[in-house]
Amino acid sequence: MSTVDLDAKIPNNVNLKDDKRLQRALETWLPGYQEWWADMGPSDFNTADVYLRTAVGVGKGGWAHFDYVKMPDYRWGIFLADPSGDQKIHFGDHAGDPVWSEVPGEMRGRLRRLIVTQADTEPASVEQQRMLGHTAPSLYDMRSLFQVNVEEGRHLWAMVYLLHSFFGSDGRDEAEALLQRRSGDPDSPRILQAFNNPIDSWMDFFCFTAFTDRDGKYQLAALAESGFDPLARTTQFMLTEEAYHLQTGENGVGRIIHRTAELLKAGKDPRAEGAIPMEIIQKFINFWSSASFDLFGGEDSTNASESFATGLKGRYREGDGIYSDPKALDQFYKLDIPDGDKMRTTEVPLRRAMNALLLDAYHTDCTRIAQRWQRDVEKFEIGANITLPCTKFNRRQGVYSEARFTPEGELISEAEWQKRHTDWLPTEADRAYVRSCMIKVHEPGKIANWIAPPARGVDDKPFEFEYVKLS
Amino acid sequence: MSTRLLYVCEGGDCTEHGSGDIYHKIKECIEAEDPTQERVKVRRFPCFGGCEEAINVTVFPDRLFYSHVTETDVPEIVDHLLHDGNPVERLCGHVKPDVEEIVWDMLDSPY
Repeated sequence: MSTVDLDAKIPNNVNLKDDKRLQRALETWLPGYQEWWADMGPSDFNTADVYLRTAVGVGKGGWAHFDYVKMPDYRWGIFLADPSGDQKIHFGDHAGDPVWSEVPGEMRGRLRRLIVTQADTEPASVEQQRMLGHTAPSLYDMRSLFQVNVEEGRHLWAMVYLLHSFFGSDGRDEAEALLQRRSGDPDSPRILQAFNNPIDSWMDFFCFTAFTDRDGKYQLAALAESGFDPLARTTQFMLTEEAYHLQTGENGVGRIIHRTAELLKAGKDPRAEGAIPMEIIQKFINFWSSASFDLFGGEDSTNASESFATGLKGRYREGDGIYSDPKALDQFYKLDIPDGDKMRTTEVPLRRAMNALLLDAYHTDCTRIAQRWQRDVEKFEIGANITLPCTKFNRRQGVYSEARFTPEGELISEAEWQKRHTDWLPTEADRAYVRSCMIKVHEPGKIANWIAPPARGVDDKPFEFEYVKLS
Repeated sequence: MSTRLLYVCEGGDCTEHGSGDIYHKIKECIEAEDPTQERVKVRRFPCFGGCEEAINVTVFPDRLFYSHVTETDVPEIVDHLLHDGNPVERLCGHVKPDVEEIVWDMLDSPY
């Protein structure tokens, strides 16, 4: 197992002290990062003591050390998973070859673009969420938000390490640019649209972590299969932290649904109680899930085909050996596409359908979550339903972006869409109402009325524990 | 597919019940006899959704969904996988059928 140097200025398990050039480059980048965190990280809570999980190693239990930390003092660092025994490329034209420890020249541009696109999402989400601490429904939730924020910051470090290590001056420029772009800035926005959408309520935050962070998991999992070993090992470790973020979202939305169901069961109007009506919750689920479908890119994509062929980005769980042909040749993906006012089925060579395959895996996972929420609702016998929209719904990317569909996936006219879309997606009035529910509760053991308390606390601590000590 | 896949859930409830320890224990037992995991690959899985029945472990392609797994069950689970023992029936059938179905959808691939 690799040794972690925790006392270094930049904690790491990549022997940074033996690579003076890289160490200097990253130490030069550090002040810019700290300045970005001060400007764009969680607003006004940098002096609070937060009960955070900090990565102190990459092995068993190494990433689960809890203690009070002020966020600016969090030990951001560079951690790669230890190499696995199987150091072979699992897929594409190079299947069976040894993995690469350096970037093959001809793949440099494509790989850099993949890394930069992924890296850009990490600071973007911190920026999107920076004001939420002020309206946290409990100290438990405030801690969860800050945990997610510092870990996204650490994921940025992981990606910047790759840029500095393997991409020379281009990589250094890209690392700088990651600190310059801003979520939602019209002149210098973040690369992907979902990371420019405002997150101004906890309903948005929980949907974002349930759906948009989950897209991140699938993208990271595809990169974790990469033939470029440093990228694969970096993303493997990021995935261990990402699991917590997804759970935060899945449980958070579930707790909001649970609270509303409780009130309905008691014969109360959620609006009169400052809680969120079920139909508004469903609209937020529709909005954030469909925005996240777009992040997978076009269903028929030559770019995705080339990333697969060259061994840079595999299918979900490629390394588990679940696919019959690691080269994905001579196979076709059936894709339903709109053709006028009808749908027809076309066959796409499987390599070109890699984005669609990854989206399918993601959608099945999201369906599992929606079913879990629905099982909870059914216990209350209130006749409410929570569902996940079809992947065709409300798309701005890919083959469905030129047509209109209901959440169930039925093709409809533009006129029909204009008539009904406010039944399915949040209106400004819905958003304003949700924002009006966001009243801060910063006392230990107390919680806002629009969300149920969690089933349990963090690190064996009770919900009443003072997860954040506000100064 | 000749290799079996064993997944240990690392969702919130399973982790809280100690699925990390179960993962390491199973991995250790498998690797004692199958060091490179040629016959059985042991993996973590983000969440199977059977949270109320934690700890959950699945075996694919056998389609075994084990629930309420404890460390004392590990030798029997491993015996089935490596020595043609029987599946551990008492751990099966605790989650609802739709939970199992969606998990097999997630683990399977038509390609």
